[in-house]
Amino acid sequence: MLGPEQPVILHMLDIPPAAEALNGVKMELVDAAFPLLKGVIASTDAVEACTDVNVAVMVGGFPRKEGMERKDVMSKNVSIYKSQASALEKHAAKDCKVLVVANPANTNALILKEFAPSITQKNITCLTRLDHNRALGQISERLSVQVSDVKNVIIWGNHSSTQYPDVNHATVKTQAGEKPVRELVKDDEWLNSAFITTVQQRGAAIIKARKLSSALSAASSACDHIRDWVCATPEGYWVSMGVYSDGSYNIPAGLIYSFPVTCCNGEWTIVQGLKIDEFSRKKLDLTAQELTEEKTLAYSCLS
Amino acid sequence: MENLDVLQKVVVLLGCLYLSWRIVRYIWSFLDVGKDPVIVLVTGAAGQIGYALVPMIARGAMLGSDQPVILHMLDIEPAADILEGVKMELMDGAFPLLKGVIATTDVNEACKGVDIAIMLGGFPRRKGMGTKALISKNVGIYKTQALALEQHADPNCKVLVVANPANTNALILKEFAPSIPEENITCLTRLDHNRALSQISANLNVHVGDVKNVIIWGNHSSTHYADANHATVDIGVGYKSVRELVANDHWLDSEFITSVQQRGDAIIKARRLSSALSAASAACDHMRDWILGTPKGTWVSMGVYSDGSYGIQPGLIYSFPVTCEKGVWSIVQGLNIGEFERGKMDDSARELIEEKAWAYSYLH
Repeated sequence: MLGPEQPVILHMLDIPPAAEALNGVKMELVDAAFPLLKGVIASTDAVEACTDVNVAVMVGGFPRKEGMERKDVMSKNVSIYKSQASALEKHAAKDCKVLVVANPANTNALILKEFAPSITQKNITCLTRLDHNRALGQISERLSVQVSDVKNVIIWGNHSSTQYPDVNHATVKTQAGEKPVRELVKDDEWLNSAFITTVQQRGAAIIKARKLSSALSAASSACDHIRDWVCATPEGYWVSMGVYSDGSYNIPAGLIYSFPVTCCNGEWTIVQGLKIDEFSRKKLDLTAQELTEEKTLAYSCLS
Repeated sequence: MENLDVLQKVVVLLGCLYLSWRIVRYIWSFLDVGKDPVIVLVTGAAGQIGYALVPMIARGAMLGSDQPVILHMLDIEPAADILEGVKMELMDGAFPLLKGVIATTDVNEACKGVDIAIMLGGFPRRKGMGTKALISKNVGIYKTQALALEQHADPNCKVLVVANPANTNALILKEFAPSIPEENITCLTRLDHNRALSQISANLNVHVGDVKNVIIWGNHSSTHYADANHATVDIGVGYKSVRELVANDHWLDSEFITSVQQRGDAIIKARRLSSALSAASAACDHMRDWILGTPKGTWVSMGVYSDGSYGIQPGLIYSFPVTCEKGVWSIVQGLNIGEFERGKMDDSARELIEEKAWAYSYLH
């Protein structure tokens, strides 16, 4: 996550029913004799866990159970993220960088922002890198190229089924230089439909195959998100991050919305000036609308 | 004056040579001559340890951050869907070092061209199952896999057997893959080694990275002997022996040994699942140190083909202290072995001889 020269101290938090399992994880971390790992805390106390934290990866949340309505999931998570926000606000390092993974990721991040006003709003983000990497993977498979030769897809919006994987600015490194993905794939029909739904539904496909959700790739993309944020994106590359919207691309300000960003000196910047065609515009607005609705729902749960 | 002249000329010449070398290196860096990918086989890849291990390999934790890899993942037919799911997730990981993934239930396809083989797959110990029964279930599996590696793997393939009974599975593999050099067939005791380091570090309240040179002797079973007699701790101004710092021989000769032996059970008790994370990490450590070399002054524990060193019967896969250089391990020789240690080492050897006899009885 932070490079082979950066020592780390891990603070692991979970709920009391999981305390023993968490301690088992701590035992395994110690048994792995990792040279960079300078300390491990396994705790069920949010205050102890949040003390002096520089990077917070929020994987915890109330999972959706069978038969639960969206409002129920939302209300459970809103109270969790409100209390974790207070703990971070009071005890974390001032420049703490936060990545929310647990769903509904964007809205959980928004609640966290609301209740941790001392944390710079730029430092509160949510994970859409998994979808971004999935999109790169689908393109690389379609074109039979190495995934490291594909770049600059964009995931717009909510980390949900309304996310919009956009390849209009994506390129592939070829012998003859960088070529646009649309030109190489030569199948707009696929790019505008099946490709989009495959990326949107990849999570479900993994559950179907593994009978468990995608832990490996989610963890890997969380590392990618933080690493690129802290250590900078390579020249000419952008990545997707759910960040606090400032009105760019006519997306309402005040949402946590996934944009294309570059990172430098520990700060992200939205890539500006990209052309948005009509098809994309509709998709961008649809997912913004869903986020606005989620925001309203979340606030109603708070009152 | 003449000498000064010559000196000046030499300095200028050296300066020019240095600059030329820098320029050549700079140009070379643009040619992007990356390393050829190494093919890594993981058997039993659909399981818990496999799930922890494959992203470590894909990220470069096993072979270094500049070594591309191609993963061959093998498992049995009932696990084919799960294995496919793992392959999908590896793809979704967009790992720059991962140049290809094969997910298969065909052992021949899996073994093709393999440079490194990590054998996680095996028949698991069921409740109440003794070691003899466990061996009977695994002998056939390891014979088949040995034949496939023999036929299809790279002749210099390096093998690490993890699935229990690890030492004896490795021995069977060696018997049926005679083309693979016997020094290339090893089994994992690095997990026990790392656990021993961590027990000492906890006792002394130091960082585990400051403790080194424990030894795990023998079988990866309850008879393995965790030996701290030659272990040291980095105290900043040099090294001190663990025995001296712990100052509790009784603990080192009893509780310490049993806590390392029973650590696996302690993890199962806490997690309700066995230790996948630390086992995967130890497998990476084992391979990485073997291929890239152990740091100077440090040795590690590996289950290797015994050559009679330390009075251990040759022809067993027995865990010894080893150093590694240029892809070759060597047993650390000349360590003082006291009576207590001798007893423990011989107990473990006796168990391995018994396991070997059982294994052979099931082969005929």
